[in-house]
Amino acid sequence: MIPQGLTAIKEGLPYLLEGALVNIAVVLGAMALGFALGLPLAVGHVYGNRKTRGLIGIYILFFRGIPLLVLLFLFYFGLFSLSGINASAFTVAIVVLGLISAAYQSQILRGAILSLPEGQMKAALSIGMSKKKAIFFVILPQALRLSIPGWSNEYSILLKDSAVAYALGVAELMARAHHVASRTYQHLYLYLTAGFIFLLLTYLGTKGLNVLYKKVGIPGYLR
Amino acid sequence: MLKKRFWIGWLVFVFLMAGLGNSAFAQDKVYINGIDANYPPFSFIDKNGNPDGLDVKAVDWIAEEMGFKVKHQPTEWDAIIPSLKNKKIDMIASGMTVTEERKKEVNFSIPYNETIMVLVTKKDAALTVEKAKTKDVKWGVQRGTTEAKWIEENMLQKGFQFKLQHYDSAPLAVEDVINGRVDCAAVSTTTANEIIDKGIPIKIIGKYGQPDDVVAYAVRKEDTQLLNILDEGLKRLMATPLWKELNEKYGVKK
Repeated sequence: MIPQGLTAIKEGLPYLLEGALVNIAVVLGAMALGFALGLPLAVGHVYGNRKTRGLIGIYILFFRGIPLLVLLFLFYFGLFSLSGINASAFTVAIVVLGLISAAYQSQILRGAILSLPEGQMKAALSIGMSKKKAIFFVILPQALRLSIPGWSNEYSILLKDSAVAYALGVAELMARAHHVASRTYQHLYLYLTAGFIFLLLTYLGTKGLNVLYKKVGIPGYLR
Repeated sequence: MLKKRFWIGWLVFVFLMAGLGNSAFAQDKVYINGIDANYPPFSFIDKNGNPDGLDVKAVDWIAEEMGFKVKHQPTEWDAIIPSLKNKKIDMIASGMTVTEERKKEVNFSIPYNETIMVLVTKKDAALTVEKAKTKDVKWGVQRGTTEAKWIEENMLQKGFQFKLQHYDSAPLAVEDVINGRVDCAAVSTTTANEIIDKGIPIKIIGKYGQPDDVVAYAVRKEDTQLLNILDEGLKRLMATPLWKELNEKYGVKK
Protein backbone atom coordinates (compact mmCIF):
# COMPACT_ATOMS: atom_id res chain seq x y z
CA MET A 1 0.00 0.00 0.00
CA ILE A 2 2.71 2.54 0.96
CA PRO A 3 4.60 2.64 -2.36
CA GLN A 4 1.33 3.12 -4.30
CA GLY A 5 0.36 5.84 -1.86
CA LEU A 6 3.63 7.69 -2.37
CA THR A 7 3.36 7.35 -6.14
CA ALA A 8 -0.15 8.76 -6.01
CA ILE A 9 1.06 11.74 -3.96
CA LYS A 10 3.99 12.34 -6.29
CA GLU A 11 1.82 12.17 -9.38
CA GLY A 12 -0.95 14.23 -7.91
CA LEU A 13 1.14 16.91 -6.22
CA PRO A 14 1.26 19.49 -9.06
CA TYR A 15 -2.51 19.13 -9.43
CA LEU A 16 -3.00 19.51 -5.67
CA LEU A 17 -0.72 22.55 -5.49
CA GLU A 18 -2.71 24.25 -8.26
CA GLY A 19 -5.72 23.62 -6.04
CA ALA A 20 -3.90 25.27 -3.11
CA LEU A 21 -3.48 28.36 -5.33
CA VAL A 22 -7.26 28.40 -5.76
CA ASN A 23 -7.64 28.35 -1.96
CA ILE A 24 -5.13 31.18 -1.63
CA ALA A 25 -6.97 33.22 -4.27
CA VAL A 26 -10.29 32.64 -2.49
CA VAL A 27 -8.79 33.62 0.88
CA LEU A 28 -7.06 36.75 -0.42
CA GLY A 29 -10.18 37.82 -2.32
CA ALA A 30 -12.41 37.19 0.67
CA MET A 31 -10.04 38.95 3.10
CA ALA A 32 -9.82 41.99 0.81
CA LEU A 33 -13.58 42.14 0.29
CA GLY A 34 -14.12 41.52 4.00
CA PHE A 35 -11.74 44.36 4.86
CA ALA A 36 -13.25 46.73 2.33
CA LEU A 37 -16.72 46.17 3.81
CA GLY A 38 -15.63 45.52 7.39
CA LEU A 39 -13.84 48.85 7.87
CA PRO A 40 -16.89 51.06 7.28
CA LEU A 41 -19.01 48.59 9.25
CA ALA A 42 -16.66 48.85 12.24
CA VAL A 43 -16.54 52.66 12.14
CA GLY A 44 -20.33 52.77 11.81
CA HIS A 45 -20.75 50.32 14.65
CA VAL A 46 -18.66 52.41 17.04
CA TYR A 47 -19.46 55.99 15.98
CA GLY A 48 -22.74 55.70 14.08
CA ASN A 49 -26.14 56.72 15.31
CA ARG A 50 -28.64 54.22 16.67
CA LYS A 51 -30.17 53.38 13.32
CA THR A 52 -26.79 52.73 11.71
CA ARG A 53 -25.73 50.58 14.62
CA GLY A 54 -28.97 48.62 14.41
CA LEU A 55 -28.59 47.94 10.68
CA ILE A 56 -24.97 46.87 11.10
CA GLY A 57 -26.04 44.65 13.96
CA ILE A 58 -28.55 42.90 11.69
CA TYR A 59 -25.91 42.42 8.97
CA ILE A 60 -23.51 40.88 11.48
CA LEU A 61 -26.19 38.68 13.01
CA PHE A 62 -27.14 37.40 9.56
CA PHE A 63 -23.65 36.55 8.35
CA ARG A 64 -22.38 35.21 11.65
CA GLY A 65 -25.53 33.28 12.42
CA ILE A 66 -25.98 31.21 9.25
CA PRO A 67 -23.66 28.31 8.45
CA LEU A 68 -21.22 28.87 5.60
CA LEU A 69 -22.55 25.91 3.63
CA VAL A 70 -26.11 27.25 3.78
CA LEU A 71 -24.96 30.69 2.60
CA LEU A 72 -22.94 29.18 -0.24
CA PHE A 73 -25.94 27.24 -1.57
CA LEU A 74 -28.26 30.18 -0.96
CA PHE A 75 -26.09 32.51 -3.03
CA TYR A 76 -25.03 30.03 -5.71
CA PHE A 77 -28.38 28.43 -6.50
CA GLY A 78 -30.62 31.15 -5.08
CA LEU A 79 -29.70 34.81 -5.09
CA PHE A 80 -27.24 34.85 -7.97
CA SER A 81 -29.40 32.71 -10.23
CA LEU A 82 -32.57 34.67 -9.49
CA SER A 83 -30.86 37.98 -10.18
CA GLY A 84 -29.75 36.67 -13.57
CA ILE A 85 -26.04 36.96 -12.78
CA ASN A 86 -24.55 33.62 -13.70
CA ALA A 87 -21.56 33.91 -11.40
CA SER A 88 -19.05 31.08 -11.30
CA ALA A 89 -18.73 28.93 -8.19
CA PHE A 90 -15.32 30.52 -7.62
CA THR A 91 -16.78 34.04 -7.61
CA VAL A 92 -19.64 33.01 -5.34
CA ALA A 93 -17.17 31.45 -2.89
CA ILE A 94 -15.18 34.70 -2.71
CA VAL A 95 -18.28 36.86 -2.34
CA VAL A 96 -19.87 34.69 0.37
CA LEU A 97 -16.66 34.24 2.35
CA GLY A 98 -15.97 37.98 1.91
CA LEU A 99 -19.40 38.96 3.23
CA ILE A 100 -19.01 36.65 6.22
CA SER A 101 -15.48 37.86 6.81
CA ALA A 102 -16.71 41.47 6.71
CA ALA A 103 -18.92 40.68 9.70
CA TYR A 104 -16.03 39.16 11.63
CA GLN A 105 -13.43 41.71 10.54
CA SER A 106 -15.72 44.56 11.58
CA GLN A 107 -15.79 43.07 15.07
CA ILE A 108 -12.02 42.63 15.16
CA LEU A 109 -11.60 46.26 14.18
CA ARG A 110 -14.35 47.43 16.52
CA GLY A 111 -12.61 45.69 19.40
CA ALA A 112 -9.37 47.39 18.45
CA ILE A 113 -11.03 50.82 18.29
CA LEU A 114 -12.68 50.31 21.67
CA SER A 115 -9.40 49.14 23.20
CA LEU A 116 -7.78 52.50 22.50
CA PRO A 117 -7.69 54.85 25.50
CA GLU A 118 -10.52 57.39 25.42
CA GLY A 119 -7.94 60.12 25.78
CA GLN A 120 -6.86 59.62 22.17
CA MET A 121 -10.17 60.88 20.83
CA LYS A 122 -10.47 63.59 23.46
CA ALA A 123 -6.96 64.87 22.79
CA ALA A 124 -7.60 64.95 19.05
CA LEU A 125 -10.82 66.90 19.54
CA SER A 126 -9.18 69.28 21.99
CA ILE A 127 -6.56 70.36 19.48
CA GLY A 128 -9.37 71.26 17.09
CA MET A 129 -9.66 68.20 14.87
CA SER A 130 -13.16 67.32 13.73
CA LYS A 131 -14.52 63.95 14.84
CA LYS A 132 -14.14 62.58 11.29
CA LYS A 133 -10.55 63.73 11.08
CA ALA A 134 -9.83 62.26 14.49
CA ILE A 135 -11.19 58.88 13.40
CA PHE A 136 -9.12 58.95 10.23
CA PHE A 137 -5.82 60.29 11.46
CA VAL A 138 -5.71 59.23 15.10
CA ILE A 139 -8.02 56.33 15.80
CA LEU A 140 -7.85 54.16 12.67
CA PRO A 141 -4.05 54.21 12.19
CA GLN A 142 -3.71 52.79 15.69
CA ALA A 143 -6.69 50.46 15.53
CA LEU A 144 -5.59 48.93 12.23
CA ARG A 145 -2.22 48.03 13.67
CA LEU A 146 -3.82 46.53 16.75
CA SER A 147 -6.11 44.43 14.54
CA ILE A 148 -3.32 42.43 12.94
CA PRO A 149 -3.29 39.58 15.49
CA GLY A 150 -7.05 39.27 15.07
CA TRP A 151 -6.59 39.17 11.32
CA SER A 152 -4.11 36.35 11.47
CA ASN A 153 -6.79 34.40 13.29
CA GLU A 154 -9.31 35.40 10.62
CA TYR A 155 -6.87 34.31 7.92
CA SER A 156 -6.52 30.82 9.33
CA ILE A 157 -10.30 30.49 9.69
CA LEU A 158 -10.91 31.69 6.13
CA LEU A 159 -8.28 29.35 4.76
CA LYS A 160 -9.95 26.36 6.33
CA ASP A 161 -13.42 27.61 5.38
CA SER A 162 -12.29 27.92 1.76
CA ALA A 163 -12.23 24.12 1.63
CA VAL A 164 -16.03 24.17 1.95
CA ALA A 165 -16.18 25.74 -1.55
CA TYR A 166 -15.65 22.12 -2.56
CA ALA A 167 -19.40 21.64 -2.16
CA LEU A 168 -20.05 24.02 -5.07
CA GLY A 169 -17.58 22.17 -7.27
CA VAL A 170 -14.74 24.70 -6.99
CA ALA A 171 -11.61 22.75 -7.89
CA GLU A 172 -9.75 23.71 -4.73
CA LEU A 173 -7.31 21.56 -2.77
CA MET A 174 -9.84 19.35 -0.98
CA ALA A 175 -11.86 18.68 -4.15
CA ARG A 176 -8.65 17.84 -6.02
CA ALA A 177 -7.50 15.46 -3.30
CA HIS A 178 -10.82 13.68 -3.77
CA HIS A 179 -10.36 13.64 -7.57
CA VAL A 180 -6.93 12.03 -7.32
CA ALA A 181 -8.12 9.60 -4.64
CA SER A 182 -11.01 8.48 -6.85
CA ARG A 183 -8.59 7.63 -9.64
CA THR A 184 -5.84 6.03 -7.52
CA TYR A 185 -7.77 4.69 -4.49
CA GLN A 186 -5.15 6.09 -2.12
CA HIS A 187 -7.56 8.11 0.01
CA LEU A 188 -5.50 8.16 3.20
CA TYR A 189 -2.33 9.45 1.54
CA LEU A 190 -4.06 12.14 -0.49
CA TYR A 191 -6.07 13.57 2.39
CA LEU A 192 -2.92 13.53 4.52
CA THR A 193 -1.16 15.54 1.82
CA ALA A 194 -4.07 17.99 1.56
CA GLY A 195 -4.06 18.41 5.34
CA PHE A 196 -0.34 19.03 5.36
CA ILE A 197 -0.59 21.69 2.64
CA PHE A 198 -3.36 23.46 4.59
CA LEU A 199 -1.22 23.33 7.74
CA LEU A 200 1.75 24.80 5.88
CA LEU A 201 -0.37 27.63 4.42
CA THR A 202 -1.81 28.44 7.86
CA TYR A 203 1.66 28.51 9.37
CA LEU A 204 3.13 30.72 6.63
CA GLY A 205 0.20 33.14 6.67
CA THR A 206 0.05 33.64 10.43
CA LYS A 207 3.84 33.91 10.55
CA GLY A 208 3.77 36.56 7.82
CA LEU A 209 1.11 38.60 9.60
CA ASN A 210 3.08 38.30 12.82
CA VAL A 211 6.15 39.77 11.10
CA LEU A 212 3.96 42.58 9.73
CA TYR A 213 2.58 43.24 13.21
CA LYS A 214 6.07 43.56 14.68
CA LYS A 215 7.13 45.80 11.81
CA VAL A 216 4.27 48.29 11.90
CA GLY A 217 3.33 47.86 15.56
CA ILE A 218 3.10 50.90 17.82
CA PRO A 219 6.15 51.07 20.07
CA GLY A 220 5.02 50.64 23.64
CA TYR A 221 1.93 48.72 22.57
CA LEU A 222 3.87 45.63 21.59
CA ARG A 223 3.79 42.78 23.99
CA MET B 1 -13.35 66.58 1.62
CA LEU B 2 -10.56 64.13 2.06
CA LYS B 3 -12.86 61.73 3.80
CA LYS B 4 -15.43 61.86 1.02
CA ARG B 5 -12.81 61.12 -1.60
CA PHE B 6 -11.54 58.27 0.51
CA TRP B 7 -14.94 56.60 0.79
CA ILE B 8 -15.58 57.01 -2.94
CA GLY B 9 -12.23 55.39 -3.64
CA TRP B 10 -13.20 52.67 -1.23
CA LEU B 11 -16.45 51.96 -3.07
CA VAL B 12 -14.61 51.81 -6.40
CA PHE B 13 -12.24 49.29 -4.89
CA VAL B 14 -15.12 47.13 -3.67
CA PHE B 15 -16.77 47.18 -7.10
CA LEU B 16 -13.48 46.34 -8.80
CA MET B 17 -13.16 43.36 -6.52
CA ALA B 18 -16.66 42.24 -7.49
CA GLY B 19 -15.91 42.85 -11.18
CA LEU B 20 -12.81 40.70 -11.03
CA GLY B 21 -14.93 37.60 -10.80
CA ASN B 22 -17.36 38.71 -13.50
CA SER B 23 -14.69 38.90 -16.19
CA ALA B 24 -14.29 35.15 -15.89
CA PHE B 25 -17.55 34.38 -17.71
CA ALA B 26 -17.65 36.95 -20.49
CA GLN B 27 -16.32 34.59 -23.16
CA ASP B 28 -17.53 32.99 -26.41
CA LYS B 29 -20.33 30.46 -26.21
CA VAL B 30 -18.85 27.17 -25.14
CA TYR B 31 -21.07 24.31 -24.00
CA ILE B 32 -20.20 23.31 -20.47
CA ASN B 33 -20.42 19.63 -19.66
CA GLY B 34 -20.89 18.98 -15.96
CA ILE B 35 -19.09 15.84 -14.85
CA ASP B 36 -18.74 13.90 -11.63
CA ALA B 37 -14.96 14.01 -11.42
CA ASN B 38 -15.05 11.10 -8.97
CA TYR B 39 -16.75 8.59 -11.23
CA PRO B 40 -14.12 6.59 -13.08
CA PRO B 41 -14.19 5.22 -15.74
CA PHE B 42 -16.97 7.48 -17.09
CA SER B 43 -15.47 10.73 -15.88
CA PHE B 44 -12.45 11.49 -13.74
CA ILE B 45 -9.34 13.67 -13.60
CA ASP B 46 -6.20 12.21 -15.19
CA LYS B 47 -2.61 12.36 -13.93
CA ASN B 48 -2.05 15.76 -15.51
CA GLY B 49 -5.15 17.24 -13.97
CA ASN B 50 -7.27 17.13 -17.13
CA PRO B 51 -10.77 15.65 -17.36
CA ASP B 52 -10.69 12.12 -18.76
CA GLY B 53 -12.97 9.12 -19.08
CA LEU B 54 -15.30 7.48 -21.57
CA ASP B 55 -17.84 10.31 -21.47
CA VAL B 56 -15.22 13.04 -21.67
CA LYS B 57 -13.55 11.49 -24.72
CA ALA B 58 -16.89 10.69 -26.36
CA VAL B 59 -18.19 14.24 -25.95
CA ASP B 60 -14.88 15.66 -27.21
CA TRP B 61 -15.26 13.55 -30.35
CA ILE B 62 -18.90 14.59 -30.81
CA ALA B 63 -17.99 18.26 -30.32
CA GLU B 64 -15.33 18.00 -33.00
CA GLU B 65 -17.66 16.10 -35.37
CA MET B 66 -20.66 18.37 -34.86
CA GLY B 67 -18.68 21.59 -34.68
CA PHE B 68 -19.09 23.03 -31.21
CA LYS B 69 -16.78 23.79 -28.32
CA VAL B 70 -17.06 22.00 -25.01
CA LYS B 71 -15.52 22.43 -21.58
CA HIS B 72 -15.75 19.75 -18.90
CA GLN B 73 -16.65 21.16 -15.52
CA PRO B 74 -16.31 19.02 -12.39
CA THR B 75 -19.57 19.42 -10.44
CA GLU B 76 -20.74 17.84 -7.20
CA TRP B 77 -23.05 14.99 -8.17
CA ASP B 78 -25.88 15.61 -5.71
CA ALA B 79 -26.16 19.19 -7.02
CA ILE B 80 -25.66 18.37 -10.70
CA ILE B 81 -29.30 18.61 -11.86
CA PRO B 82 -29.90 21.92 -10.02
CA SER B 83 -26.65 23.12 -11.65
CA LEU B 84 -28.01 22.17 -15.08
CA LYS B 85 -31.37 23.85 -14.50
CA ASN B 86 -29.65 26.97 -13.14
CA LYS B 87 -27.50 27.13 -16.32
CA LYS B 88 -24.27 26.66 -14.40
CA ILE B 89 -23.66 23.84 -16.87
CA ASP B 90 -25.31 23.00 -20.24
CA MET B 91 -25.25 19.23 -20.24
CA ILE B 92 -24.38 16.20 -18.14
CA ALA B 93 -22.35 13.47 -19.83
CA SER B 94 -21.12 11.54 -16.83
CA GLY B 95 -22.58 8.05 -16.69
CA MET B 96 -26.02 9.34 -15.71
CA THR B 97 -28.75 6.71 -15.41
CA VAL B 98 -32.09 7.49 -17.05
CA THR B 99 -35.00 7.41 -14.59
CA GLU B 100 -38.65 8.50 -14.73
CA GLU B 101 -37.97 10.91 -11.89
CA ARG B 102 -35.09 12.60 -13.74
CA LYS B 103 -37.06 12.67 -17.01
CA LYS B 104 -39.42 15.15 -15.34
CA GLU B 105 -36.47 17.50 -14.77
CA VAL B 106 -34.28 17.06 -17.85
CA ASN B 107 -34.28 15.56 -21.34
CA PHE B 108 -32.11 12.56 -22.13
CA SER B 109 -30.20 11.69 -25.29
CA ILE B 110 -30.30 8.22 -26.86
CA PRO B 111 -28.81 5.67 -24.43
CA TYR B 112 -25.19 4.57 -24.89
CA ASN B 113 -24.63 2.22 -21.95
CA GLU B 114 -26.32 0.18 -19.25
CA THR B 115 -26.18 0.36 -15.48
CA ILE B 116 -26.23 -2.95 -13.68
CA MET B 117 -26.25 -2.45 -9.94
CA VAL B 118 -24.47 -4.90 -7.65
CA LEU B 119 -23.20 -5.22 -4.11
CA VAL B 120 -19.47 -5.35 -3.39
CA THR B 121 -17.78 -6.54 -0.21
CA LYS B 122 -14.23 -7.08 0.97
CA LYS B 123 -12.57 -9.89 -0.97
CA ASP B 124 -12.47 -12.22 2.05
CA ALA B 125 -15.93 -11.42 3.41
CA ALA B 126 -18.49 -14.21 3.81
CA LEU B 127 -21.48 -11.92 3.27
CA THR B 128 -24.04 -13.00 0.66
CA VAL B 129 -26.73 -10.87 -0.97
CA GLU B 130 -29.41 -12.66 1.06
CA LYS B 131 -27.60 -12.03 4.35
CA ALA B 132 -26.86 -8.45 3.36
CA LYS B 133 -30.59 -7.70 3.37
CA THR B 134 -30.96 -8.68 7.04
CA LYS B 135 -31.04 -6.52 10.15
CA ASP B 136 -28.06 -4.34 11.13
CA VAL B 137 -25.93 -5.04 8.06
CA LYS B 138 -24.45 -1.73 6.89
CA TRP B 139 -24.66 -0.63 3.26
CA GLY B 140 -22.79 2.25 1.65
CA VAL B 141 -24.06 4.19 -1.34
CA GLN B 142 -23.29 7.40 -3.22
CA ARG B 143 -25.58 10.28 -2.26
CA GLY B 144 -28.03 11.60 -4.87
CA THR B 145 -27.87 8.57 -7.13
CA THR B 146 -30.57 6.31 -8.58
CA GLU B 147 -29.32 3.46 -6.40
CA ALA B 148 -29.61 5.54 -3.20
CA LYS B 149 -33.19 6.43 -4.12
CA TRP B 150 -34.13 2.93 -5.24
CA ILE B 151 -32.78 1.26 -2.09
CA GLU B 152 -34.54 3.85 0.05
CA GLU B 153 -37.93 3.42 -1.68
CA ASN B 154 -37.98 -0.23 -2.59
CA MET B 155 -36.14 -1.79 0.31
CA LEU B 156 -35.92 0.38 3.43
CA GLN B 157 -39.48 1.71 3.13
CA LYS B 158 -40.70 -1.82 2.44
CA GLY B 159 -39.50 -3.12 5.78
CA PHE B 160 -35.89 -4.20 5.21
CA GLN B 161 -33.88 -3.53 8.37
CA PHE B 162 -30.33 -2.96 7.10
CA LYS B 163 -28.68 0.43 7.53
CA LEU B 164 -27.81 2.73 4.63
CA GLN B 165 -24.94 5.19 4.80
CA HIS B 166 -24.46 7.96 2.17
CA TYR B 167 -21.15 9.06 0.65
CA ASP B 168 -19.95 11.89 -1.59
CA SER B 169 -18.73 9.51 -4.27
CA ALA B 170 -18.82 5.82 -5.16
CA PRO B 171 -15.07 5.41 -4.50
CA LEU B 172 -15.55 6.79 -0.97
CA ALA B 173 -18.33 4.27 -0.31
CA VAL B 174 -16.01 1.47 -1.44
CA GLU B 175 -13.17 2.94 0.65
CA ASP B 176 -15.37 2.53 3.71
CA VAL B 177 -16.03 -1.10 2.78
CA ILE B 178 -12.25 -1.58 2.91
CA ASN B 179 -12.13 0.33 6.21
CA GLY B 180 -14.85 -1.93 7.57
CA ARG B 181 -17.22 0.88 8.47
CA VAL B 182 -19.85 -0.55 6.13
CA ASP B 183 -20.22 -4.22 5.17
CA CYS B 184 -21.03 -3.71 1.50
CA ALA B 185 -21.55 -0.96 -1.06
CA ALA B 186 -24.09 -0.68 -3.88
CA VAL B 187 -22.23 0.32 -7.06
CA SER B 188 -22.57 -0.29 -10.78
CA THR B 189 -20.68 -3.21 -12.35
CA THR B 190 -18.65 -0.69 -14.33
CA THR B 191 -17.44 1.01 -11.16
CA ALA B 192 -16.88 -2.31 -9.40
CA ASN B 193 -14.77 -3.70 -12.26
CA GLU B 194 -12.75 -0.51 -12.49
CA ILE B 195 -11.94 -0.73 -8.77
CA ILE B 196 -11.12 -4.45 -8.91
CA ASP B 197 -8.81 -3.78 -11.90
CA LYS B 198 -6.87 -1.34 -9.72
CA GLY B 199 -6.04 -4.20 -7.33
CA ILE B 200 -8.31 -3.08 -4.50
CA PRO B 201 -9.35 -6.22 -2.54
CA ILE B 202 -13.10 -6.23 -3.14
CA LYS B 203 -15.45 -8.61 -4.93
CA ILE B 204 -18.91 -8.49 -6.46
CA ILE B 205 -21.36 -10.66 -4.50
CA GLY B 206 -24.31 -10.20 -6.85
CA LYS B 207 -27.29 -8.09 -7.84
CA TYR B 208 -29.53 -6.91 -5.02
CA GLY B 209 -32.66 -6.47 -7.11
CA GLN B 210 -32.54 -3.03 -8.68
CA PRO B 211 -33.67 -3.32 -12.33
CA ASP B 212 -31.06 -2.57 -14.99
CA ASP B 213 -31.23 0.90 -16.45
CA VAL B 214 -29.76 2.75 -19.39
CA VAL B 215 -27.23 5.57 -19.33
CA ALA B 216 -27.53 8.75 -21.41
CA TYR B 217 -26.57 12.42 -21.63
CA ALA B 218 -28.86 14.98 -20.00
CA VAL B 219 -29.72 18.50 -21.19
CA ARG B 220 -32.21 21.17 -20.12
CA LYS B 221 -35.84 20.61 -21.22
CA GLU B 222 -35.86 23.70 -23.44
CA ASP B 223 -32.50 22.91 -25.08
CA THR B 224 -33.89 20.76 -27.92
CA GLN B 225 -31.25 22.01 -30.35
CA LEU B 226 -28.38 20.75 -28.19
CA LEU B 227 -30.23 17.47 -27.63
CA ASN B 228 -30.52 16.91 -31.40
CA ILE B 229 -26.83 17.67 -31.87
CA LEU B 230 -25.87 15.20 -29.12
CA ASP B 231 -28.20 12.47 -30.45
CA GLU B 232 -26.82 12.83 -33.95
CA GLY B 233 -23.23 12.93 -32.64
CA LEU B 234 -23.76 9.83 -30.48
CA LYS B 235 -25.26 7.92 -33.44
CA ARG B 236 -22.26 8.80 -35.61
CA LEU B 237 -19.78 7.93 -32.83
CA MET B 238 -21.39 4.57 -32.12
CA ALA B 239 -21.15 3.71 -35.84
CA THR B 240 -17.35 4.12 -35.79
CA PRO B 241 -14.80 1.52 -34.65
CA LEU B 242 -13.52 4.17 -32.22
CA TRP B 243 -16.59 3.60 -30.00
CA LYS B 244 -15.59 -0.01 -29.34
CA GLU B 245 -11.99 1.02 -28.75
CA LEU B 246 -13.05 3.68 -26.24
CA ASN B 247 -15.25 1.21 -24.36
CA GLU B 248 -12.40 -1.28 -24.22
CA LYS B 249 -9.84 1.33 -23.25
CA TYR B 250 -11.91 2.46 -20.28
CA GLY B 251 -13.01 -1.05 -19.35
CA VAL B 252 -16.68 -0.32 -19.89
CA LYS B 253 -18.48 -3.52 -20.78
CA LYS B 254 -21.46 -3.27 -23.06
